[in-house]
Amino acid sequence: MSTVLILAPVIVSSWPAIAVAVTGAASALGFAVHKTAQEALAGVEQEQGTQTVEIDLAESQVLAQSLATNQQIVLTKGSIRLVVERDARGRCKVCATGKGHGKAELKQAAEEFTQKLTQCFVYNKVMKELKSKSFQVVNEEVTQDESIRIHVRRWVD
Amino acid sequence: MAQHDVEISITKTGEVKVHIEGAKGKACLEYAKWLTKVIGKVKDQQMTREYYEPETKARINLQQNLKVEDDST
Repeated sequence: MSTVLILAPVIVSSWPAIAVAVTGAASALGFAVHKTAQEALAGVEQEQGTQTVEIDLAESQVLAQSLATNQQIVLTKGSIRLVVERDARGRCKVCATGKGHGKAELKQAAEEFTQKLTQCFVYNKVMKELKSKSFQVVNEEVTQDESIRIHVRRWVD
Repeated sequence: MAQHDVEISITKTGEVKVHIEGAKGKACLEYAKWLTKVIGKVKDQQMTREYYEPETKARINLQQNLKVEDDST
């Protein structure tokens, strides 16, 4: 053995790269992705009994120069709706709403999504960087505890 | 040629465990620095025995020297 590192990921990227991870996480968790917020929110009004929970990805930054207008992605699964967007401070924010769901349930859904989003983002970024350094993938698997394990190798003179 | 292996485990919560094998000394540190830059912040780092071993070339020389000494005794 040589070195073991434990790292806490920081999501700093342009919106398109984050959007790719959002789509991947949504797919993994069974959420439908809506191309525009207008499409998902059309005809939807804030009904009585609808709870809302917001979660910031503390270690995240959506690069400002990549920000276009109305950059948000809306995801739905049953009666739960997640809106992923850049907040005023430049952080990535997930807002969960849903009629008939308590705040704790919505918070859990938002947290589960942010974790999956982080996992997808790190996977995409790491694979891109490893390939740029000529690493070859020896093995790749998803373990029982839902971790993604990647084994790569390269030969050096 | 030296074989450098990297095992990366991305947990369900997004935490990342990186295990660098085969690279010694400075090369190992360079991998660690690069992956930290790519992924985020270091929560913990453990240098294992191999990190402190000399580079491959130096180790072979050392083994050769030891062999000469053994032969002469």
